[in-house]
Amino acid sequence: MQKILTHSEKQTFDLGKKLAKALRGGEILALTGPLGAGKTVLAKGLAAGLGIKKTINSPTFILMKIYQLKAKNLKLKANKLIHLDCYRLKNPQEIINIGAKEYFGQPNTITVIEWAEKIKSILPSGQTKNIRIRLKGANHRQIIIDK
Amino acid sequence: MSKNVNRIILGIESSCDETAAALVENQGGTFKILANVVWSQVKIHQKYGGVVPEIAARNHVKKILPIIDLALKKSKVDKKNISGIAVATGPGLITSLLVGAQTAKTLAYLWQKPIYAINHLQAHLYANWLNNQPIKFPAVCLIVSGGHTELILMKNQTQLKKISETLDDAAGEAFDKVSQLLKLGYPGGPIVSAMAERGDAKAFKFPRPMIQNNNFNFSFSGLKTAVLYASQKFSPKKLKSYKLKANLCASFQQAVVEVLRAKTIKAAKYYNAKTIMLSGGVAANQLLRQTLEQKTKKMGLKFLTPKPELCTDNAAMIAAAAFFTKPTPWQKIKVDPNLSL
Repeated sequence: MQKILTHSEKQTFDLGKKLAKALRGGEILALTGPLGAGKTVLAKGLAAGLGIKKTINSPTFILMKIYQLKAKNLKLKANKLIHLDCYRLKNPQEIINIGAKEYFGQPNTITVIEWAEKIKSILPSGQTKNIRIRLKGANHRQIIIDK
Repeated sequence: MSKNVNRIILGIESSCDETAAALVENQGGTFKILANVVWSQVKIHQKYGGVVPEIAARNHVKKILPIIDLALKKSKVDKKNISGIAVATGPGLITSLLVGAQTAKTLAYLWQKPIYAINHLQAHLYANWLNNQPIKFPAVCLIVSGGHTELILMKNQTQLKKISETLDDAAGEAFDKVSQLLKLGYPGGPIVSAMAERGDAKAFKFPRPMIQNNNFNFSFSGLKTAVLYASQKFSPKKLKSYKLKANLCASFQQAVVEVLRAKTIKAAKYYNAKTIMLSGGVAANQLLRQTLEQKTKKMGLKFLTPKPELCTDNAAMIAAAAFFTKPTPWQKIKVDPNLSL
């Protein structure tokens, strides 16, 4: 387990960017943390680190957004980023019904899930990396990353 | 659009949780809505605090043909007089979009009519044409809804360019989230603005996100968080107070409207716009309509916004957009939940 403190939105974004460098394909990043914790900021950082130029905005409304990746280094096997937001969900079945589960753990896909606790029961435990964000005052965040 | 031709388009819309069909006639450039039927599923989704894609899709399947049938009967148009079928193919919920697209394809094949694949966001813009008012270009258009907050530049009636968008949450989404955190219910837009009417917009000092920035982008995620923090300062018992909730709603709505107004006006000045247009579901918000209209008129520009019932999702706007779009062979109709402008 790794614990990191960030003190601004920019630092949280940069942490996401840094985390992206270790991604290869097939990873599922399960983000949890209260409203306003910075989950979307971290997801934006991850996307930037993966070389996505498009604006990463909230997928709450349509639940899932898919972004194409252009591999800049040979280590990255993934060609798409799936951005899910489970905020509105009452039942994990909803995620299965829109076909999102088919992407989980695929070698050509990196999955980032906000409010992942809502679909914990359908996440493949071996491939899921939990990232918890805790609020420590207005600008400070503790980010706990599973090994 | 060719003048002096009389054409009737059947529009079909199923992007989210509204099943809609409309018949729109264009006679020498003048639009006439012959029928506009919208069946909203909002009551079904209320208990979930938002649209549930699977449930939305099932209800579209159930309702789409009866709604189309009803629109045809209301319009008294015989299907042989329809010149084409228009359908929204994105953005939206994939499972919902598929129902409309498949239905439109089937009808187009059966009736041997051309089919028009319509971008739902573009259709929100073309809803302004249903007013039959002359439009001077360039026009700066604000599209604001539950899933989108974007500024579009129109150089003429078919040339569109996205100027900016939200970097995180859409304005309508912020309304939904604030409504949820104050336990007011769903959909948030109409509920929060009704509460806001009884509250004091100056009671809380909420941030105006990115209002001073040099670009035209929006951000509403931080504003929602600010409302959360402000509400957390009160005990759960105090938070039940109607007055307090009304004040939070009014101050929040004021912040959203001010940001939308400031960015739209700034873009209008930058692009030397002659017209400002407002559309999308949140355009039904009275404070936003009034604020933007006043400011636009003060600048001597023309202000256009569809009637409230043509701002929220409907099929008349889908049909209207078809008059500016080339047909697509039915074999090539594809839906795209992430379709952009």
